[in-house]
Amino acid sequence: MHEMQVVEIKKIVRETKRIRTFFLDLDVNAIPGQFVMVWLPGVNEKPMSASYTRGDLGITVLRLGDFTRRLFELSEGDLLGIRGPMGRGFKIYGDRLLLVGGGVGVAPLAPLAEEALRDGKEVTAIVGALTASELLFVDRLKRAGARVLISTDDGTAGRKGFTTDVLAELLEEESFDQCFTCGPELMMAKVLEITRSKRIPTQASLHRYFKCGIGICGQCVLDGTGLRVCKEGPTFRDKELRRSHEFGRYWRNAAGQKIYFGRR
Amino acid sequence: MLEVELAGLKLANPTMLASGILGTSGAALKRVAVSGGAGAIVTKSIGATPREGHPNPTVVEIDGGLISAIGLANPGYEEFREEIAVAKEGGVPVVGSVYGFNFQEYAMVAEAMQGYGVDAIELNISYPNVGKAGAFFGYREELAHEVVSEVRKRVSIPLFAKLTANAGDVVAVAKACEDAGADAITATGALRAMAIDVTTAKPVLGNRVGGLSGACLKPVALRCVYEIAEEVSIPVIGCGGITTGRDAVEFFLAGARAVQIGTAVLYRGITVFRKVSREIAEYLEEQGYGHVSEIVGLAQR
Ligand SMILES: Cc1cc2nc3c(=O)[nH]c(=O)nc-3n(C[C@H](O)[C@H](O)[C@H](O)COP(=O)(O)O)c2cc1C
Ligand code: FES
Repeated sequence: MHEMQVVEIKKIVRETKRIRTFFLDLDVNAIPGQFVMVWLPGVNEKPMSASYTRGDLGITVLRLGDFTRRLFELSEGDLLGIRGPMGRGFKIYGDRLLLVGGGVGVAPLAPLAEEALRDGKEVTAIVGALTASELLFVDRLKRAGARVLISTDDGTAGRKGFTTDVLAELLEEESFDQCFTCGPELMMAKVLEITRSKRIPTQASLHRYFKCGIGICGQCVLDGTGLRVCKEGPTFRDKELRRSHEFGRYWRNAAGQKIYFGRR
Repeated sequence: MLEVELAGLKLANPTMLASGILGTSGAALKRVAVSGGAGAIVTKSIGATPREGHPNPTVVEIDGGLISAIGLANPGYEEFREEIAVAKEGGVPVVGSVYGFNFQEYAMVAEAMQGYGVDAIELNISYPNVGKAGAFFGYREELAHEVVSEVRKRVSIPLFAKLTANAGDVVAVAKACEDAGADAITATGALRAMAIDVTTAKPVLGNRVGGLSGACLKPVALRCVYEIAEEVSIPVIGCGGITTGRDAVEFFLAGARAVQIGTAVLYRGITVFRKVSREIAEYLEEQGYGHVSEIVGLAQR
């Protein structure tokens, strides 16, 4: 049973201007890729990937809407409710691993890299952001021993362009046993297109609007598959996503209406 | 041994998916039919206009069940047409659940759903968490009678009325529905309930109060089915806390002809329908019965 546990915020770390990590007084042993439901009492509850999965739970949050703005007003010692960790995390196969993270999507990939490196795997991480000051966890990944390749949309750090540009170039030269990706869905769709053509099995962590978070309300079910993002996901294999005409095209809002990513 | 006829619908087994569990999309409904083994599937309750529902938390787990307040979230009936088409690919009867804020909305949406090809309509006059919709029409027999009559004028397919144990007199409401032309009664929906967090001294649910479902609802729902089945001649569908074949058998003995399962999906997965069906068959074999219909209402006599 996933009871609501109300716990103190132990520490808040400013990662970038718009991204903060909240460390909670909750001892966990989660699988990278798993998520928790975060309740801001009296406000709302949203899913967040665990960005620190062992010991004190960490969540890394991008300030975006009303909920995250309210979260950013909190201080150390304030209370949050947590359900979880829940869902299916990433599964590591092979020895040469490639990570592709865009924006705050690096959050679940960083603990994955640490875990893989601890197990003696080789990790290359492509990290992308709009601009240099928004890059997340680059130092953390390097400290853990990963090779880090960077892209920024505006060229203020690393290659000017997208993570997928770096990916396409890299895969001309090298091969990997497994790829893991998290970030904007259109980016992930492109990542899967590229890794598929190179026959590199890939796992992607999806984001959907969640209500129950425990697989009963149906809010997060992926069209074409019937799979629940909160239960069978949030990480999926490329072969599962290939069956979904929803992935990379649209998501559903709280009413269950389809909202298309970018152009139809 | 398990196939049943329910108000004209043919079900391969008597387990149905309860409304609001995985019922928001065609893909999910189809999966419950194909992989889950449900004998019929009921959609999420659909209304006249899109609704986002209540803010999260919308569900909280407690000992022996859940308290939930999704708040009748749905994309509106027009957008739901394509979901019904996908749900029908599951190959089992599809029941369209309908709610409204007034009689006209119930009738209009029910008629539209009939046009989309659902096999039956279930009128949600049981849902307790949105002011003047759902259970608002199920607390008293006059309003229940009026909803069912208005819808009856517009739809020809089988019509179920889903009741709430929060009604003043649930048996009187059931009789009013039968009198107004309902073909079956579903008993029951979730019971009004709440959870409070003692650390923050705040209600946990975004809507503060919600509906109780799961094992702890079962004795109440069972009593409702028993009392209703005694008084009406149309079939009764049992719903509330059914998790195992034994639970389902209790409802049959009380007088139900089929059962709906919701919260147990959490404990036993999407294949809970297959599992419960197998357990019902095992019970029948153990006890020397040839068909599930033989035990319906046995506890009444
Ligand atoms: C998350 C959730 C959503 C529900 N939504 C609806 C709904 O839209 N319409 C409805 O008639 N009942 C709804 N219900 C009530 C169920 O259909 C069912 O009557 C109730 O949960 C008792 O059955 P159970 O104990 O097997 O879950 C909902 C229940 C839950 C837990
Ligand atoms: S959020 Fe309810 S099923 Fe996933």
